[in-house]
Amino acid sequence: MRDFGQLEAQVMERLWAAGRPVTVRTVYEELAAERKIAYTTVMTVLDKLHRKGWLLREMIDRAYVYAPVRSREAYSADLMREALSHSHNSPGTLAAFLDQLTVAEARQLRTALDEAARRPARKQPGKRASS
Amino acid sequence: MIAAIALVAYALAVAVTLPRFLRGAAWTARAPRLAIAFWQAASVSIVGALVLAGLVLALPTASLAGGLAGVLHSCEMAIREAYASAGGLALTSTGMVLAGTVAARTMWCLTAALARASRLRTHHRAVLRMVGRPSAALRATIVDTPAAAAYCLPGRSRDIVLTTGALRALSNEQLDAVLAHEHAHLRGRHHLVIAASQALLNAFPRVPLFAIACGEIGRLLEMLADDAAARQSDRTMVATALVALADAQTPAAALAAGGPSALSRVRRLLAPADPLGRARTAGGFCLVAVALLAPILIAVAPAGAAIGMSWCSTPDSHTSSASAATTLSERAPA
Repeated sequence: MRDFGQLEAQVMERLWAAGRPVTVRTVYEELAAERKIAYTTVMTVLDKLHRKGWLLREMIDRAYVYAPVRSREAYSADLMREALSHSHNSPGTLAAFLDQLTVAEARQLRTALDEAARRPARKQPGKRASS
Repeated sequence: MIAAIALVAYALAVAVTLPRFLRGAAWTARAPRLAIAFWQAASVSIVGALVLAGLVLALPTASLAGGLAGVLHSCEMAIREAYASAGGLALTSTGMVLAGTVAARTMWCLTAALARASRLRTHHRAVLRMVGRPSAALRATIVDTPAAAAYCLPGRSRDIVLTTGALRALSNEQLDAVLAHEHAHLRGRHHLVIAASQALLNAFPRVPLFAIACGEIGRLLEMLADDAAARQSDRTMVATALVALADAQTPAAALAAGGPSALSRVRRLLAPADPLGRARTAGGFCLVAVALLAPILIAVAPAGAAIGMSWCSTPDSHTSSASAATTLSERAPA
């Protein structure tokens, strides 16, 4: 059912791009223009997304109208918050390359790099000297 | 009884002395994998020693003379003798409680930690699937957000996540270094190492070593991944990637999680590589093996001594030990 996951993502994409509540028909017409898809499939996907909590649903003029619960940016921000804060000790262990730093800490990193760049290039002098 | 005391003493000795030798020692930065092995061996041997201490108390060592029948016979006798006296019973039950609770708590916390981590990752992944775009070229998922971040999501489907902010901040070579670092985390299944160390901390929060080990292991795993990335590109490149990302970040409020570690990583990468050397690393791993085996050796030492005595004994003394056993059963109170 991996295709279904991809389809759900594509439908969410449309919903976010639309910027306003849309009907099943609107989403169907947009998708059908690019690929072979059945109306009932679109209906099922939208219903599923609603049940999973991604979409709000309202009945307007005897047709269902869907809208995203939150913006894409909001979800992205959540992801980043989860990934970056306490990532080493987070239960999910998301292992960020670099954790969140304060301004002072970031500056310290930059200073360390600049200092190293200013040092004259050395070729492992310690090892040579001792052997 | 002596074995049990020795085992508890061993556990205490490891718990008290190891952090003093290991934490912040300069050599750990030169051989992070060995240092991690030391922390893990210390944790395992402390738990193992306590469980064995309990078992040794609960199941008094049987003489292994006389084959299997002899073992069962003397086992049964020793247990009877232990239960016969009030002191013996107290000792036996203490042993069972000790072994039981330590083992059960450890297993419980391990499974709970792994399950919780898996749940959180599944939720994160579900959102990632909707919000992110897979990039076949980078073999990663891209999230469109200004925050400059790169991280990996371990588990069954090993994902690497990059933000558009990170892609803007990093050059191609720096990006390669970051990807190599994250791949090292995934390949080495470091999330399991971290989960295990956290589980022990949750299980026995009063033992300082487990808390220290948690922090140290996290730090050392980052060094390990940095080294792997440096092997693919070079040390300076990894360092500049760290700094580039740091510069591009929107800074955190005062309570940041990983600040000091990032600086030490950069400094370590900018200094020339200085590995510990094969001989000393091999010696270190031997010590790790000793630490792991020590509790087992201490636990079976009395039995080993008994075997030794029965092997060395003449046929006469063998029968006399058997008759001594029968006399014991006659003497055992009804």
